Amino acid sequence: MIASLQRYVSAGVLMVWGVVISYFFFSGRVGSYLHPSFHTWTVASGIILVLMAGGILFLPQAQDGCPEGECLHTFGGKTWWGIALAGIILVVPLLVTTVVSPSQFGAALVMNRGMIDSIGDLPGYIPYAEPPLPTEDGSQPANPVETQPTASYLPLNEAGQIKAQSVDLLYAAQEPTMREDFENKEVELIGQFMPAKSNNPKGDRFNLVRMFVMCCAADSRPVAVTVQAPTTENFPEMSWIKVTGKATFPTEAGRMVPVVVADQVTATDPPEESFIY
Amino acid sequence: MNGPWFTFSFSDFSYAFLSVLLEGVPFILLGTLLSGLIDQFLPARVMVRFLPRNPFLGICMSAGMGIVFPMCECGVVPVIRRLMNKGLPLSNAVAYMLAAPIVNPIVALSTYAAFRGQNAADFTILRLGLGYFVAVLAALAVHNLPIGAVLRTGVMAVTGGGTADGRGPAGFLGRISAALRVAVADFLDVMVFFIFGVAVASLFSTAMNQEVILPLALNLWLATFSLMGFAMILSLCSTSDAFIAATFVAFPGVAKLAFMVLGPMVDLKLLFIYSSVFKKRFVVGLALGLFVLVGLLCVRLSVLNL
Repeated sequence: MIASLQRYVSAGVLMVWGVVISYFFFSGRVGSYLHPSFHTWTVASGIILVLMAGGILFLPQAQDGCPEGECLHTFGGKTWWGIALAGIILVVPLLVTTVVSPSQFGAALVMNRGMIDSIGDLPGYIPYAEPPLPTEDGSQPANPVETQPTASYLPLNEAGQIKAQSVDLLYAAQEPTMREDFENKEVELIGQFMPAKSNNPKGDRFNLVRMFVMCCAADSRPVAVTVQAPTTENFPEMSWIKVTGKATFPTEAGRMVPVVVADQVTATDPPEESFIY
Repeated sequence: MNGPWFTFSFSDFSYAFLSVLLEGVPFILLGTLLSGLIDQFLPARVMVRFLPRNPFLGICMSAGMGIVFPMCECGVVPVIRRLMNKGLPLSNAVAYMLAAPIVNPIVALSTYAAFRGQNAADFTILRLGLGYFVAVLAALAVHNLPIGAVLRTGVMAVTGGGTADGRGPAGFLGRISAALRVAVADFLDVMVFFIFGVAVASLFSTAMNQEVILPLALNLWLATFSLMGFAMILSLCSTSDAFIAATFVAFPGVAKLAFMVLGPMVDLKLLFIYSSVFKKRFVVGLALGLFVLVGLLCVRLSVLNL
């Protein structure tokens, strides 16, 4: 009786996990949770879990791997309520969070983690290296830093504005070569609205936030660019907006910072890729 | 400080919680599938046959066996118990038990993936290297202890199961079925602890204003020993703990390293599992010794500026 219950509960738990994980992949929702390099692992594990559930139910029952009196598995409980409790612990949090999770962080997280407004604070950032000086014969030595292509590599929108990412402007504030591509140029940025609670003496600024992800949403860091707009609408915190305007790089508090002087700020749908990598 | 020190948002919590679950499950699954296959298809005497007779070399080799025979910390205790019954020396078993959850290709892969863009190669090499070194030191200490002071009475009398002594299921399909059941049992067990660990980690990483813990994170000693304590409480699986360690962005690299080296060796769930094989006094001594040793070594490694 207990062995059968354990078998069916195990298969049920595996099936729920497999179906939920597969759902995240096939619905595309996984893109809001994981770096793309993990997506294949995710769908593979979902399918394997479903197969394992089938295996537990339909493969011939051999002797348990854990001999009598030696089993340390907590799931191998000897009571029906122990097995039921383990099943609930394994299934309920997954299902509840799958239903409740909005697939994006709110303002509280951004405030708790703090916004990155300098590229040097971003994980994985490699500082800019000045190009080497010419050699004695006047020739240019091999440049260890890969030369940035000209601005032609930058994507443009239909109005001819550069479709930039917030992280591009942070890089540009740090790296002169890249800054030339953006400074005083018309740009279009999509991000999440956050009010500017500091460095906003005239009250005409807000932050445009994108989440920078290394592996999954849990390690994401809010990357913010300051936007200066003549009139700031009261968008809900962390709602998606599109900003078009001119990219500038004034020096504030002793360091160069990107400030987008906005012509237009409008609400928009979330982009297909909500993270930046 | 901007804002209150604690702002709980269930939607933020659930989002972080789900993302770590989705990221960690493939690695836990891979580990438990391997564990099931090893359990059913690898006779214990194969490991014993290839070990050198010199105790030091034997310990060194046992500590590295996780590379060939990977095992997560949840599955390793039943395995070493069976191996000891087949004649594996206690010190070799302890070396394998402590090192295998860290020194194995799955953990190397997951650590590298979790720290991508954050000195991933350095973290991976240091984690495996330090895990190996600490396991060898602990096993050498155990080598000098009498078996009666370490193992619980009756542990060596229990006969093993599985295929090692020929009592296992007959036929390939039978073995596959048994391996699957072991893998499923391991997976479900680990997932229970993993869910609790991820929940605590998600609460910590989303609700707490990180400015509050900055003083802790900025002091090397406090940061290292507090993250080790956190690793013990979280009781995460070694195949996925790196993903959680990587989220402690405010903490120094050596503190994250200490988190990843100590956690797979000593945590709350392991204290209970160890107690089923080892004497309680030994378990407490082992836990305290490893806590101090890993902490001191990691603080010393701060010169590397991870």
